[in-house]
Amino acid sequence: MNTQDEKIRFDAIVVGAGLAGSTAAMMMARAGLNVALIERGQKAGGKNYFGGAIYTHAIGEVLPDFMDRKPPFERPVTEAGFWMLSKDGGLTKMTVQGGKLGAEPADAYMASRAVFDVWWAEQAQREGALLIPKTSVVDFIRDSAGQVIGVSTDRAQGDVYAPVVIICEGVNNLLTQKLGLIDHDLEPAHVALAFKQVIALPMDTINARFGLPDEKHGLAASVLGDVSLGLPGMGFVYTNNTSVSVGLGMMLDAVVEYRLKPYEVLQRYLRHPAIAPLIKGGQLMEYGAHLIPEGGYRDMPKLYTGGAMVAGDAASMVNALHWEGTNMAIVAGKLAAETAIEAHKQGDFSAQALSQYEARLKDRFILKDMKQYRNFARFLETHPEFMDAYPGFINDALGQFFSAYGMPKKTLFKNILGSLTSRRQLFKAVGDMLSMGRAVMGW
Amino acid sequence: MKKGDAFSVKELPQELKASLPDVYVDDLLVSLKYFIDEEQSHLKIKDQAVCARCQYKPCLDFCPVGVYTLAHDGKIQVAYQACVECGSCRVGCPYANIEWTLPRGGFGVAYKFG
Ligand SMILES: Cc1cc2nc3c(=O)[nH]c(=O)nc-3n(C[C@H](O)[C@H](O)[C@H](O)COP(=O)(O)OP(=O)(O)OC[C@H]3O[C@@H](n4cnc5c(N)ncnc54)[C@H](O)[C@@H]3O)c2cc1C
Ligand code: SF4
Ligand code: SF4
Repeated sequence: MNTQDEKIRFDAIVVGAGLAGSTAAMMMARAGLNVALIERGQKAGGKNYFGGAIYTHAIGEVLPDFMDRKPPFERPVTEAGFWMLSKDGGLTKMTVQGGKLGAEPADAYMASRAVFDVWWAEQAQREGALLIPKTSVVDFIRDSAGQVIGVSTDRAQGDVYAPVVIICEGVNNLLTQKLGLIDHDLEPAHVALAFKQVIALPMDTINARFGLPDEKHGLAASVLGDVSLGLPGMGFVYTNNTSVSVGLGMMLDAVVEYRLKPYEVLQRYLRHPAIAPLIKGGQLMEYGAHLIPEGGYRDMPKLYTGGAMVAGDAASMVNALHWEGTNMAIVAGKLAAETAIEAHKQGDFSAQALSQYEARLKDRFILKDMKQYRNFARFLETHPEFMDAYPGFINDALGQFFSAYGMPKKTLFKNILGSLTSRRQLFKAVGDMLSMGRAVMGW
Repeated sequence: MKKGDAFSVKELPQELKASLPDVYVDDLLVSLKYFIDEEQSHLKIKDQAVCARCQYKPCLDFCPVGVYTLAHDGKIQVAYQACVECGSCRVGCPYANIEWTLPRGGFGVAYKFG
């Protein structure tokens, strides 16, 4: 038995060295707190997954000099938008390039999470956080009043104590459930199952096939149309330095009910006449799969309790319209850390004190975005007529419209979306249309 | 998605169904790196009798790495070694019949790219 004095104590514990977790650890360590960052994988990032592209605005908020620290980014996103695949093998591109997408550093960079997250955790270690890998947190330690005062792990004598625990465990939020912050597990209708292949190709081949001038240019495209068998879903294509990531996500309930084999759906997409030539001769580097929480605000747990807070995918903080989660995870991790730092100053870790976390989130885009989505979801529930009008718009009108005009697509696109300059705005506009389409099909 | 005995399946239009290629999942699995826990499985079927009663056995299909297969005796076999820990089976099994835990610290999938 441990005596009082032998207990392993920290000022704060972070569960999970993903984006939310390493951010929280970095911020708290910088403020002088003694932080344990506990990760179940062999190293940070080994369990983590995305498309994908990482936004730099969130990174810059935490580490203003991030570019000097040589982040292991792949190509910058210099071209972004939507591709529409038609059943007859056609491809309509609706992408923007130049303008703000040409900025340095770029708004977003392609990355591999297994590489990027290692670097991100190293930044937390540089501030003094202690990374404890190969260790799963299995439960909480609470005092007689129910206040969280530590965690137990699957290591021998693996109890670790701290007055505040920040839970950043990702989409499978079993600890968040265990703590009673949410009373149900994920709903198949509210999560997307996403899977992809990373396919190696020579740099020059990628440049030529994707129309990129050099490796300082990269494409991030969301792919609609003949991707997900007419069921709720969306594909994606990202160009890395010497590989491309091609995959798709579908709502899990559809995958289960239609008894689809995800790898068959993916292979069908990779064989589409517009996609196959892009990856021809490439070598499979890695296949994988992960869930994306899509429930938005409806599925968010309570964000804090006495001695604990929850951030990132574990709190369903993904913008369900655009599948953006990295920026929210980073900002939420930062805000949770600020709340923990303040709690240390006041010596108060009660639920009341930690409720500041939610207040901080409300001030920022996170809760605003999530609420907007909730309203939108409700709107759709009460306006079924919209569910009929929009899929047609997406599947037929839009595709035909963009290909029927004799105008160069770029010019046409500019005309239509003239005022939409940034990628975010663009995603939002098309994303809103897309979500209408999703709702129609019963997502 | 309805759960328990109320669960039912849907069918794709024939033409779409026919457009799905056959894929040998092992060809994909070789691209993945794992630290395999040889001593214990982190996935367990809670009750094989429930599986026997489960009419459609969707786990045989929806697991993205084909962990669940049907043994000769009709039981569900769990090749936990291939699991990428996505969580789909925990929430997608209509009978909530899969006991799903994280692999012990350090074990399981180790993405090289992710
Ligand atoms: C296919 C796909 C494509 C995506 N594309 C994009 C994109 O292009 N851009 C974007 O912004 N977002 C994208 N997202 C979303 C984004 O990846 C997530 O929102 C983001 O990774 C969430 O970060 P997180 O820190 O909350 O969780 P995670 O990155 O999942 O980290 C959770 C960490 O906790 C650890 N952990 C869990 N439980 C325990 C435990 N009990 N003990 C110890 N450690 C534990 C895990 O090992 C992991 O390291 C995508 C997601 C998917 C699946
Ligand atoms: S694990 Fe679930 S889905 Fe699979 S056969 Fe058993 S009850 Fe059915
Ligand atoms: S967690 Fe995902 S990969 Fe693992 S067995 Fe379940 S469905 Fe398959």
